[in-house]
Amino acid sequence: MTEGSDLKTRVQELIDTMINPAVAGHGGYVELIDVQDNRVYLQMGGGCQGCGAADVTLKSGIERLIKEELPEVAEVLDTTDHSSGTNPYYTAGKS
Amino acid sequence: MGGPRLLLLLPTRTYRTEDFVDAAHRLGVDLVCASERPSTLESLSPDTLLTLDFSDPAAAAARAVEWSADRPLAAVVGVDDVTAPAAAAIAERLGLRASAPAAVTAARDKFQMRQCLAAAGVPVPRFRRIALEEAPLRAARGVEYPCVLKPLALSASRGVIRANTADQFVAAFERIRALLQRDDVSVSGDAARFLLAEEYVPGLEIALEGLLSGGALHTLALFDKPDPLEGPFFEETIYVTPSRLPAAIQESIRTTTAAACAALGLTEGPVHAELRLNDDGPWVLEVAARSIGGLCSRTLRFGTGMTLEEIILRHALDWPIATLERERQAAGVMMIPIPRAGRLEGVRGLDDAKAVPLIEDVVVSAHVGQTLVPLPEGFQYLGFVFARGAAPADVEDALRIAHARLRFDIR
Repeated sequence: MTEGSDLKTRVQELIDTMINPAVAGHGGYVELIDVQDNRVYLQMGGGCQGCGAADVTLKSGIERLIKEELPEVAEVLDTTDHSSGTNPYYTAGKS
Repeated sequence: MGGPRLLLLLPTRTYRTEDFVDAAHRLGVDLVCASERPSTLESLSPDTLLTLDFSDPAAAAARAVEWSADRPLAAVVGVDDVTAPAAAAIAERLGLRASAPAAVTAARDKFQMRQCLAAAGVPVPRFRRIALEEAPLRAARGVEYPCVLKPLALSASRGVIRANTADQFVAAFERIRALLQRDDVSVSGDAARFLLAEEYVPGLEIALEGLLSGGALHTLALFDKPDPLEGPFFEETIYVTPSRLPAAIQESIRTTTAAACAALGLTEGPVHAELRLNDDGPWVLEVAARSIGGLCSRTLRFGTGMTLEEIILRHALDWPIATLERERQAAGVMMIPIPRAGRLEGVRGLDDAKAVPLIEDVVVSAHVGQTLVPLPEGFQYLGFVFARGAAPADVEDALRIAHARLRFDIR
């Protein structure tokens, strides 16, 4: 097993055991697309796709968790087409 | 991670999340996000995710002070009207850079704001606060027409209705009373018990985006609103900057806005002011202790490309800001209004709209399947069109052409 694929396995494990059980509370899920050059590429689905709070979930939640557990990860990138989300948990509006 | 810790107050339904979170990451701050509802990941990441009750600024401040005891904060920023009072309360408790809570609270309440401004001699429409429990027909006899009725604490023209007669006043009154009881409206205190009736001021409408620093107002942008806003509802559509108004009038708008900020006691952070302009000069309709709403800030670039959110975060952190000068190009945004109630079934013409010269982007923020509610009850847009070009008139034309190419299937 190469170093890259090992990292991919460990990211997948984190997503399966910690992240997806948590975001499932809002009908969401996270899918690992790839790991390249220590960059993690994700897609968000269900309630996370198009959600007004998706950036908070990603940057202050998912990325922090992954980097804490796997310090070699440089960045977590969202490749989701949020405009195609049909059931976002929060839809944006003006206060 | 590693930079100073910055607390962003982000309501779960704000349009502003992406732009503020991106700016925080570009600046390399250690970002903490607080919302009014718990994030699904809060228990796993308690150092970066927090829940605060924005409707109770004192409680939010107490919780933030407790949370920050072993996680010191360098700055706190509220991104909109809802979070500004809580941000000010937190900043005061922690000795961080912000306007005083009393000033921010006064700016949040349209009645208090008008009282402050009128007392300081800042031109505002004649106004009256009316209890929602009052009989509307009796209240209708005590106002002059045409007038405008509005809730005390909602944004984006939500619940703002013009009445030309007593009958229209009664209908508007009942509509606002019903609006304030909707599940998606969260107001409390006076904002839940009163509305404001004020003189209708004819004229052009403009918006000033500014940054207060040590009590001095720096104008970041002055936007013309070329579509007439005459009622019965006041749907905002196009904003274009720089303003095409004569320089002397622009200066009077700046001076009036600065006087309004001083009257309220606002001294630090972003302000968004809305004014009417007629033969009597500028009239202040609103001065909010926040930046421009929706995705509209994407029209603004400063210096070599700095965003409005970066400026706001740098100011809160007391970091140097290279320049507050907006780029030379004209820029504009169209907030795509919701034409009628229904369910969004689909959107066509997106590529055609994006292909219009000077159009930078078209963002459809409503999702397929979403239930759409138009003004005055609604608080969302279908999306936003952005344009940039040499002249304001060209930008305005591009926005109109692009919008005309979009087709929203609403059933």
